Amino acid sequence: MTADQVEGNGVRVRLGGREMSLAISDEQAVRLRALVDRVAREPFTKRVWAELAYFVVGGALTAVGLAFVAWTMVAGIVLAITFVGLAVLVLSLRSARGLGGLFRRMARSWLGEPVADPEPFASRPGFLGWLQSGLRDRVAWRSVAYLPLRAAWTFLGVFVALSLWWDAFACLLHPITNHDGSGLGVWGLPAAIFGGDHLNQPFGLVHGLAVFLLGVVFFFAAPWVTRGFVNVDRLLVRSLLGPDPVQVRVRQLEQTRTRTVDASAATLRRIERDLHDGTQAQLVALAMRLGMAKEKLEDPEHVDVEQVRALVDEAHRGAKEAIAELRDIARGIHPPALDVGLEGALATLAARSAVPTDLSISLDTRPTPAIEAIAYFCVAELLANVAQHAQASRASVSCSQQGTWLRLVVRDDGIGGAEPTMVGSSSSGLAGLTDRVKGVDGRLHLVSPVGGPTVVTVDLPLSA
Amino acid sequence: MTATGLRVAIAEDSAILRDGLVQLLVDRGFTITGAVGDPAALRSSVAQHAPDVAVIDIRMPPTFTDEGLRLALELRDRHHGLGILLFSQYVETRYAADLLADDAAGIGYLLKDRVADVSDFVDALERVAVGGTALDPEVVMQLMGATRRSDSLTVLTAREREVLSLMAEGRSNAAIASALVISEGAVEKHVANIFAKLDLPVSQNDHRRVLAVLRFLES
Repeated sequence: MTADQVEGNGVRVRLGGREMSLAISDEQAVRLRALVDRVAREPFTKRVWAELAYFVVGGALTAVGLAFVAWTMVAGIVLAITFVGLAVLVLSLRSARGLGGLFRRMARSWLGEPVADPEPFASRPGFLGWLQSGLRDRVAWRSVAYLPLRAAWTFLGVFVALSLWWDAFACLLHPITNHDGSGLGVWGLPAAIFGGDHLNQPFGLVHGLAVFLLGVVFFFAAPWVTRGFVNVDRLLVRSLLGPDPVQVRVRQLEQTRTRTVDASAATLRRIERDLHDGTQAQLVALAMRLGMAKEKLEDPEHVDVEQVRALVDEAHRGAKEAIAELRDIARGIHPPALDVGLEGALATLAARSAVPTDLSISLDTRPTPAIEAIAYFCVAELLANVAQHAQASRASVSCSQQGTWLRLVVRDDGIGGAEPTMVGSSSSGLAGLTDRVKGVDGRLHLVSPVGGPTVVTVDLPLSA
Repeated sequence: MTATGLRVAIAEDSAILRDGLVQLLVDRGFTITGAVGDPAALRSSVAQHAPDVAVIDIRMPPTFTDEGLRLALELRDRHHGLGILLFSQYVETRYAADLLADDAAGIGYLLKDRVADVSDFVDALERVAVGGTALDPEVVMQLMGATRRSDSLTVLTAREREVLSLMAEGRSNAAIASALVISEGAVEKHVANIFAKLDLPVSQNDHRRVLAVLRFLES
């Protein structure tokens, strides 16, 4: 085999009688160089030594912790016929929880693993309550499960990863430590693979060089093997020492529920304000004018017909305005157009919009009423924003189905520059819409560069 | 119609109502010294024109909660002799308690609906302007309903309870007499009976009488 030509990154090789090329592209060359660079630097990074320290110190603590928890548990179970046994068991669980917290903090500060704290321990009142809560503490039981798993994994890691570090240094230092032929002291899996006894032979120059090179290989491989072990442990920490997934979901739902409740309270307040400031004031003024007219008519001798006619005229106009206001408020609570479905309701909105609006709808499944209402209010609010702020000449609304999701896209060719906090009026603005959408696990996405166009995308589940 | 010549300042943020009130009061011979939409404007208007009475909406900018009430308490401390008629879409017993904490002279608290009965409203406003009291029947009803003294109220006859309510609204004996279509002498007899039965301190002064009745209902 001869390499007779080197062109760029390609190598042309003649093997036997056949010629073949080992050409690699520029991109591959860049990647290869980056990889070599990375491997060469890795042993000298802080992260590697933090991981090694985590592995060694954490492993030792795990062994101690497991021994303690195992002994106290056995003792607790043996004594379980009395309350003392149960109390010992609970104390054992409480310490397992504490150990879990310690390992979690270690993973956080030494590995930078972003694992959140689980629910704190909440004891019911009284000694019996404490026993019951302690025995049912899911977080503690998961910590107990973590200990033997990590211990077993660490045990394996000592033979595979820790020995690799040891052997790497033994091989690298053997010209100094082994000059008298007393042996290298290599052990573990690497030594077994490369024949520990063989390595311990008194050395000649070739043998010595080979051992040294092996040390170099071990040294650069060790960080990755260690990381493999540490990464599995990260997985254990995340799944057993982090928050209980069930409790996380419960907390999430509690938050969305709070937001939804707040949003509906804000809606009620807005309706009350609309009624108070608009309709009620209108009706009071109306009643007042009629009251004045009535008093003027009480004395038939001296009726100023023009004055009374003016009062009744104003009252009449006020009554009509109050009716129109009430209709608007009622529409804000539940748009009657929705009774016939989203399609018709959106068509009405698009037709009523001050900016000419194109509408395209393709829905195979009818969303649940709550989703239809949210979709309707989103489009209504967004189109109102377009009319008020965008200075647009056209707008478009598209409503499509994507699997089990409903996607609304409202687009305009206006001046852009809309921001979530600035758009819209108070509780019914974009922030209010976002809360409403989040309340059903949906998403609202706004893209509005200065100069436009503005595109708002809303994804809603079809049923909620 | 009647030209009372009383000078009135108005603070009401709804333009429709404000204009309506001005029209009504001018029609009844009042002089409007200022019709404004927020507390600050009323403060300076009152300082400048020294009206006899101020009509104040409770919910006003900026927060639309109880701006008017706080303004009323402030004006009462600053301008002695200024009558204050609070004007609201709802009546809150707590607000009435705050307002009447130490004195009922020149204080009114009415539902906005009351303007529909123009004469009653004008009557209440005049009463407040000259140092009397005008409490909305709704407030009195709430107080009578919520009182822990309902046992003591059972010793009153139906007629006496009616008289008690009207007294609590701040009406004079003459007004009570005409409202119930009885003689003033009969009203005086009912009032004396009520005070005796409830063991209240007798007072000739109308607004002291109101306070006594309210204290009784609140305690």
